[in-house]
Amino acid sequence: MGRDLNSRDLPDNARGIMTTIETKAGETGARPEFLEYVMTLGMTTMEGRGFYYPVDIAIGQDERLYVVNRSLDIVPRGVRVTMCDIDSEYYGTFGSFGEKDGQFVWPSGGAIDSRGRVYISDEQLHRISVFDHAGAFLSRWGSHGTGEGEFDTPSGIAFDNQDNLFVSDTYNHRIQKFTADGRFLLSFGSQGHGDGELNLPWGVTLDANNNVYVANWGNDCILKFSPQGEYLASYGTSGSGDGEFQRPSSVAVDEAGYIYVADWGNERVQVLDPEGGFVMKLRGQATLSKWAENFLSVNVEEGAARARANLELEIDYSVIHPHEESSHIEKFFWSPVSVKLDRAGTLYVTESNRHRIQVYKRIAS
Amino acid sequence: MGNSDVELIAHLMRRAGFGATRDQLDSYAAKGYEATVEELLNPVEEQRMGDDLIRRFHPELSGMMGPNASGENWLFRMATTTTPLQEKMSLFWHGIFATGYPKVIHGKALSDQIRMFRQHGMGSFRTLLVELSKDPAMIIWLDNQDNHKGAINENYGRELLELFSMGVGNYTEQDIKECARSFTGWTIANREYMELRSQRDSDWPYGRIAWHFEYHPEDHDDGEKEFLGQRGCFNGEDVIDIICQQQATARFISRHMYSFFVANEPPVPEWPDTPPSDEQAIQQLSQAYVDSGYDITAMLRVLFNADFFKSGSSWYTKVKSPVELVVGVLRLTGEFDRPRREILDRQLQAVYMGQFLNNPPSVEGWHEGTDWLDTGSVVERVNFATQQMGDANKPGVKAMISNVAGNAVGSISPERLVGACLDQMGAMSVSEDSRRVLIDFASMGGDLALGEGNADEQAHRQIAAVLQMVASTQEFQRS
Repeated sequence: MGRDLNSRDLPDNARGIMTTIETKAGETGARPEFLEYVMTLGMTTMEGRGFYYPVDIAIGQDERLYVVNRSLDIVPRGVRVTMCDIDSEYYGTFGSFGEKDGQFVWPSGGAIDSRGRVYISDEQLHRISVFDHAGAFLSRWGSHGTGEGEFDTPSGIAFDNQDNLFVSDTYNHRIQKFTADGRFLLSFGSQGHGDGELNLPWGVTLDANNNVYVANWGNDCILKFSPQGEYLASYGTSGSGDGEFQRPSSVAVDEAGYIYVADWGNERVQVLDPEGGFVMKLRGQATLSKWAENFLSVNVEEGAARARANLELEIDYSVIHPHEESSHIEKFFWSPVSVKLDRAGTLYVTESNRHRIQVYKRIAS
Repeated sequence: MGNSDVELIAHLMRRAGFGATRDQLDSYAAKGYEATVEELLNPVEEQRMGDDLIRRFHPELSGMMGPNASGENWLFRMATTTTPLQEKMSLFWHGIFATGYPKVIHGKALSDQIRMFRQHGMGSFRTLLVELSKDPAMIIWLDNQDNHKGAINENYGRELLELFSMGVGNYTEQDIKECARSFTGWTIANREYMELRSQRDSDWPYGRIAWHFEYHPEDHDDGEKEFLGQRGCFNGEDVIDIICQQQATARFISRHMYSFFVANEPPVPEWPDTPPSDEQAIQQLSQAYVDSGYDITAMLRVLFNADFFKSGSSWYTKVKSPVELVVGVLRLTGEFDRPRREILDRQLQAVYMGQFLNNPPSVEGWHEGTDWLDTGSVVERVNFATQQMGDANKPGVKAMISNVAGNAVGSISPERLVGACLDQMGAMSVSEDSRRVLIDFASMGGDLALGEGNADEQAHRQIAAVLQMVASTQEFQRS
């Protein structure tokens, strides 16, 4: 079972927790309290302990976090999976840049099966690589193409509770289902802008009943399919209002059916109720992680200059866009690319441009 | 040289853009030359690879922590935009207001500066200079954050006059000091922390924080100044007003524009002693600057419609800069129909040829013209262009081959094959020498036999080989 964060001693940097409701509940029908900020994890580093353009995480049964680092093309040594946990304990890394077994070029999504094996998709090599709990390479499968079981840019991946893996096959605009050892089972979805149609799908997840939710990135909505791939529902439309999305990248569903969406293009996270009604939105409120505090305490001059800086200035932006705002205000989400829930319902928001994870937990209701 | 409408428009697109495919040229030709100029000057709705798509697959081109990201991002844009003059003008201003990574150490600040050129680079020159003076990358590049009331730093004031507006010989050392005084208090927010992070190349703990301009009135020297013969308690904008009124500024910008779009002038330091190669052209452009109230688009309109620009004698006389060459090739090959890792390699190719976007060799920018051609870079340029054109998997190359082959079954003579390939590469016209070399090369394969199956494959390889050979000609390497 997951941890009960309410019973934990929170790190210093998370004291003075604030609720993160930005809207006035009365105006939007939003629930006034749903999630609260807990802490921030991680820091940018090209190697070792830290993250470098992280694009997803997978959470193991023991709550170990596997952070998938995309890095940048000219610094391939940043490509790796970092293992750590919510206490900022660091367990090492595995994987590296390359095309050999156990290597990645454009690592994208992460998922973990019932046996604790770690699956990582690769958008450049069009394959899924499998590792054991400690990061030892086990196998890989997949190839480039449009046929059954082939991929064109596999991104988000997720397991159902039968250990079947669902893969968001981005440029084929479909979802494919495999056994845990890579045997093709079924495929669904087709390219388009209509109901139930896909356009460069990204994140994928399953609810307690094995219904499949897809972050339909190019169409600015979340789609829900049955376990057999029948289209059931669509949530959200293009926009920046409550319940609207811009290029959603990731979706998570909790046991009660609440839907958490990484509203990537709006640089925020939104929560919908099981029927798709708007519940709340988060803009981000990062604080210093343990690793960040450690860095600043060692690099005294930089720490002191940072302490004297005002990082929450009112800015007269020349370009009005959440991406621009997030580039200036460090605490806000910047490229919140992935939302994942652990078994206790704690929410992990991974931000590729800030190389960190913001953690939120449900407020007891 | 040919004189058809299509060839003239091809010339326009090479200079005002990065070249065009044969299909694009046909569609411009249908509108006519002047209408095409107006379309370039008044970009309405830009179509291009979206930032969201770029950022999805290249997070680094969003976070921009390294020296390459801003250039890669720009390259994607130049390779796919439907408003090429906007990008060409951004490149033009980048060459003059050259700001570089090694001192700024902030990819997004540099990218933001290019965005500012895109936004203001075809409007009022006055607005552009004001925005430039507020640009955070420029402030750090020329140390204006160290320009304080009572303790001036002249770097920005000096370059504003010498390299950005008037040129040497048109102001005094005292004018520089007064100019610097006027820009005291123009700085960036959180200067100490941001500057320290740049100096240390620090991405820690959470990546770069974007910069923005901040005016500190308490640090501004509000005393009286005398600048270019005028007196007043000038602030930066007042000084820019005075600069914009100067005939020297009109000529300086006109000469830059002529050099970039028409024919290379000598390097800027030689300008005080070397008259323009076409004095009348400079006067025409200067007049447009004055008449329009410093409007860049009005100057460009005069330039693109002038005989000195359209004249066949200026075709293929300018050596393409590495970025122009690379972008021109990418637009022909259509390689970036989606984000691809290869963008980094294409960026590096331009670097190997001598042009690293957002990383010019100095505040004076790059030396244009034949300075681009040394033995090493010529090899890089030819290798790059021929390699790309020879890849029949690229959609643009595939389309060109298919257009050359057409629906014909039978044979095509080497002469016709060369003519068709030159046409596909952008309605190119080449010298007799180049044509002879191309025909000799094409003749080695004999007549092109177009038939079914394998015969077609062989024919397609022959066509690709001639396209590659065209890419190696002097004419393709120039604009």
